Amino acid sequence: MFLAVGMVKNRFRVGLMFSTTGPYSIIADSMLNGALLALEEINRSGGEFNFDPVVVDPGGSLQNYSLHSAELLKSGVRHVIGCYTSSSRKEVIPCFEKYDGLLWYPSHYEGFESSTNVIYTGAAPNQHILPLIDHLVTNFGPHAFCIGSNYIWAWENNRILRETIMAQGGSVLAERYLAIGDTELDQMIDAILDARPSFVFSSLIGVSAYLFFRKFRAACLSRGIDQPNQIPVASCNLSEPELAEIGEDAVDGHLSSSVYFSSLRNNCNKAFVANYAKRFPDRPLTSADAEASYIAAKLLGAAVSTVKTDEVGAVKVAVAGRWFEAPQGHVMIDPATMHSHLTPRIGRSKRGATFDVIMEEKTPIPPDPYLVRSGPRYGAPSSRGHLWVAS
Amino acid sequence: MGGQLMAPRIVQNFRGGRAVIFAPDGGIVDVLDTTLNKLGISVERQRIPEGQSIVAMPALQVETDIIFVDGDLDVTACLNGHLTVLRSVPIIGLVGIETPGRLKALMNLGASALLRKPVHSGAIYTALFLGINSFMARRDLECQLEEHQRRRSRRRIVVKAIIILMQQGGLDDEEAYAQLRRDSMRARRSLEDYCEDYVNCRSTTTLDQSPTRIIAGP
Repeated sequence: MFLAVGMVKNRFRVGLMFSTTGPYSIIADSMLNGALLALEEINRSGGEFNFDPVVVDPGGSLQNYSLHSAELLKSGVRHVIGCYTSSSRKEVIPCFEKYDGLLWYPSHYEGFESSTNVIYTGAAPNQHILPLIDHLVTNFGPHAFCIGSNYIWAWENNRILRETIMAQGGSVLAERYLAIGDTELDQMIDAILDARPSFVFSSLIGVSAYLFFRKFRAACLSRGIDQPNQIPVASCNLSEPELAEIGEDAVDGHLSSSVYFSSLRNNCNKAFVANYAKRFPDRPLTSADAEASYIAAKLLGAAVSTVKTDEVGAVKVAVAGRWFEAPQGHVMIDPATMHSHLTPRIGRSKRGATFDVIMEEKTPIPPDPYLVRSGPRYGAPSSRGHLWVAS
Repeated sequence: MGGQLMAPRIVQNFRGGRAVIFAPDGGIVDVLDTTLNKLGISVERQRIPEGQSIVAMPALQVETDIIFVDGDLDVTACLNGHLTVLRSVPIIGLVGIETPGRLKALMNLGASALLRKPVHSGAIYTALFLGINSFMARRDLECQLEEHQRRRSRRRIVVKAIIILMQQGGLDDEEAYAQLRRDSMRARRSLEDYCEDYVNCRSTTTLDQSPTRIIAGP
């Protein structure tokens, strides 16, 4: 469309808050780039407005997340696409509620949240961990060894896995946690090799995860173990840019549950992959989190285009229930929970830092952030056993 | 036979529940309705007519209902006459005026969790989790306490049975007690029930050498 001569486009500032420095900078960088690409595409599309990205880097510090959020919102920014870890999201939500801003949270997470000031474009637990557990138990056996970075993402994923797998007659042989950024992995690897589980379920993030894949592969090789087939490692947070960080020697044979893989063969994804690589040649690989950020920015653009304002209430109404053609396929924001309808898939990593998609749902699955439809009524029984009153 | 003491399992999914809400209409608790629906819980608002002290109480389903009560109402007066039935379901108090009197009224009603007004959506799952599971744990403890008190009140009958067996079988008190315990377990009955029958009917014990040994009472 052509604007009349002298007509000034509306400009809306959008906060992009990702820790592009710090222990999980690789994935945060990918998320920032996904959002930037979408905003630039919107600005080039000739609409009646432009987005001005305001990029902030909390550096992985929770305190900085709060400070940056408050600064952005107090300066009049109404929409922020940002956060990767749940702890950072929990940290900033009170600020978004106080200033009535809207956080577009573009990452898979563990669920059990539904803030009226957040739109969730990443996968909920029924869209990532539940399909993965079924696949692992069916193909590798029922005995899990759970490892993770010591925060809510790993704790809650491991709880869901434990309850689901125990209900199927399986077991969790052990759970081990490392602080975010910790790389003291030898004891953990020894414990896994001693336990010989059917599979390892890893919720390690960032540098801890990349080093684990390398060291675990090496430890298995030295013992003559065919790691990908005998003790496969599965994760709900392993993406293409991270495969590149792991390195060619240990990159193949890992399982990832995700709603997006860069190897998807549809035209929308082909364009996304190509445009992303052209725009960010230093780190050219797309990821699920980059795609979720891309979706968030595109949905924001579509909503503002419809309601001609970035006012939060109007944008929420405009975005709810709207189907959008995304690189992963059709997605839609569920009006009840403001989480997304997404398509679960399982990929197996290979050399070249990509995944073969080995399982996918036929259609997008509605989000179930509280596992109301997908989870059991009762938690796992207490491990303290049963007492009897003897007469 | 001993009673099984199993801690109630933790409820974490509230799908299929019904929330009965005693609160005035208005935005201060409206977020309850939408969030409860997200959690798979249907909502029934109970109208509270102006100036009336008695409110209607729907038939309650013990396994699925949860009551929410606004503590700023005159709770005791409003729900007077329903206290017995209210004991059978979890109650979550909505706290506005944070005075000892209002909090005590909610506590006396049996509230096992509280939600501060204005209600924040992020607090509701937590209040349900605590309210329902605390209620179940409390009900379980009450049942256990009742069972123990019932047994304690019947210890006298056990003493009587021990004395009878000591006199009839020439046993000391330890041997007589062990014998009664063993026989009650074999009969799959509580010690108290077994002893009561034994005292009333003098049922034979394994010490008796009769060819058709009767373990349980008649």
